[in-house]
Amino acid sequence: MTRCPAAQLLRVVVITGIGLWSLAPIGLGVATSLSTQADVQAVPARWLPGHAMLDAYRSLLGGTGDFRAGGTVSESGAFAHAMWNSASVTLMSTLAILCVAISAGYAFARLRFPGRGALFWAIVATTVVPVFTVVIALFGLMADMHLIDRTLGLVLVFVSTTTPLAMWLVCNHVKELPTEPEEAALIDGCTRWQAFWHVVLPQMRSGIAALSAIVMLSVWGEFLIPLLLTSTSASKPVTVLIPEYVGKYTTNYPLLAAAGVLALLPPAVVALVLNRHIRGMLSGSS
Amino acid sequence: MVRPDAASPSGLVLDRVRKEFPGGVVAVRDISLTVEPGELLVLVGPSGCGKTTTLRMVAGLEAVTAGEVRIAGRLVTGLPPRHRNVAMVFQNYALYAHMTVRANIGFGLKMAGMPKREIRTRVNHAADILGITELLDRKPRQLSGGQRQRVAMGRAIVREPAAFLMDEPLSNLDAKLRVEMRAEITNVHRRIGAPTLYVTHDQTEAMTMGDRVAILRQGALEQIGTPLELYERPVNVFVAGFIGSPAMNLLPATLDSSGDAWYASVGGSRVLIPTKARAALQPFAGHDILLGLRPEDFVSTEDLREGAHGVIQATAARAESLGSELLVYLTINSDATTLPLTVRLDRRAAVQQGAPTRIGVDLQRLYFFDPKTGAAIR
Repeated sequence: MTRCPAAQLLRVVVITGIGLWSLAPIGLGVATSLSTQADVQAVPARWLPGHAMLDAYRSLLGGTGDFRAGGTVSESGAFAHAMWNSASVTLMSTLAILCVAISAGYAFARLRFPGRGALFWAIVATTVVPVFTVVIALFGLMADMHLIDRTLGLVLVFVSTTTPLAMWLVCNHVKELPTEPEEAALIDGCTRWQAFWHVVLPQMRSGIAALSAIVMLSVWGEFLIPLLLTSTSASKPVTVLIPEYVGKYTTNYPLLAAAGVLALLPPAVVALVLNRHIRGMLSGSS
Repeated sequence: MVRPDAASPSGLVLDRVRKEFPGGVVAVRDISLTVEPGELLVLVGPSGCGKTTTLRMVAGLEAVTAGEVRIAGRLVTGLPPRHRNVAMVFQNYALYAHMTVRANIGFGLKMAGMPKREIRTRVNHAADILGITELLDRKPRQLSGGQRQRVAMGRAIVREPAAFLMDEPLSNLDAKLRVEMRAEITNVHRRIGAPTLYVTHDQTEAMTMGDRVAILRQGALEQIGTPLELYERPVNVFVAGFIGSPAMNLLPATLDSSGDAWYASVGGSRVLIPTKARAALQPFAGHDILLGLRPEDFVSTEDLREGAHGVIQATAARAESLGSELLVYLTINSDATTLPLTVRLDRRAAVQQGAPTRIGVDLQRLYFFDPKTGAAIR
């Protein structure tokens, strides 16, 4: 197939435009995080720092006082703790979601039992309910269960909100896998569970990697639910902590940007490492 | 047909096995058959005839709606696949892609809790039989189709099961490899000796490999017998048309007599009916029948001998030389319609396309069928 040069050029321009649109804020964030407050507030605006400095990162991790922070207070260790909260909630949620979604998705794809279709769609239908419509009830429920400001509370909510979608993806993925190796395993002496463990799971490796990435990225970026259910550094994730660096009268922009850049790193690593699998699953070929 | 109750207790027995899917679709209609120890029985039939479903019911991968399955004298109808002691070779090999060939072959033994040393010995032995010893450390994706097929066979034989099940194991191979593997499967089967149920839609495979062949149509068993029995004595039009390549010519004919002689009239030709066939044809005198003529039972005009051959007038439409023989497609012009006739002649036969030809058919090789029921008349 030959491509028209004009169409090719248009393609390049559009892709470059989209790339710039997506990457410019990140680039600006990195530049800001390496600047001083004076650089940021300079008129006319300076897009690149005069001298790249890591002060903002030091302040963020080591803590700031009123004076240095330009009005923003960063308690020593608070950011690192929030990163830890985010990481632990993300990992625990992902693990739980994978366990439930993989077993349920497999069961819905392969096993025949009464009410299978109705149950499947009832679970999947919950994905269309916007979270903000249930936040008040959710808060009441979590308060009754003494799960406010606890990472376990966040994990439980993320598991219940994300599992249906994950299960749906797994179910479709399993349906695309050939049934014969599994049947061969059953004939080779496996129970259904052993066939699942020894034969089906290894076949799903790529799909599971993709699903893990999708779930991790989604949980890491959650804002509304943690904002609602956390109040102290005991459970507050980084997504809720960062907006607190915006001061009422002034804001230390390098510090805010450094926090954004650091918070971006874990999902960026996950996305880069599992990129191949994510593309595979989204295109249905993993 | 061998009755299940008369069967050897160590064989594989299906007794009035039936499969109905939800919605009332009957895939298998009360099939009874026995595969004796050491026997290779081929289930053959067109797509959707229920042969694979039958095999899967024996394996325990499909539940049986009614009837019984016995393997080596043991009733296994309600047992899960792992308790049936069968091995199955799948059409697409169904190898475990993440395991090496050695792990693939030894997987069943590992699941049975066999000591590692013994697994190693048995896997090596199976690999030796199949000539895949040098492939043992490879992954399935590094193997060719034929090699994968051998691994699948290895996985089946290593367990020394009570019965082998094979579901179109050669259909993914190219023609040359298929012929090779046909011989290899037969050899392995002879060596192992367990009863083997082999499913295929390829009648050549059925005829060349099967000790006996069972023909299925729409879930029902049409006929079971040795390949020669099916070829020589088909019970009905379906079996007659299914076995043999090219297929048997089935020509509408009228049975009439002239003095002492009986004839089957096809188009403008009259084929003399041998005396021995007359008794069975008595009820059809003066009526329509279906005359079955195998393409290989024809001779060209030069080889025609009066008395031994019946003569049919036809026009050669097309001839295909296969090197060793000549396939000729003719048409018989009858009153109302044109009947196609396929014949297989000696490669040196002179056939003039478009010209009327006299073609001879062996009078001892005529088949007669009831046009209403399709049943053989004999």
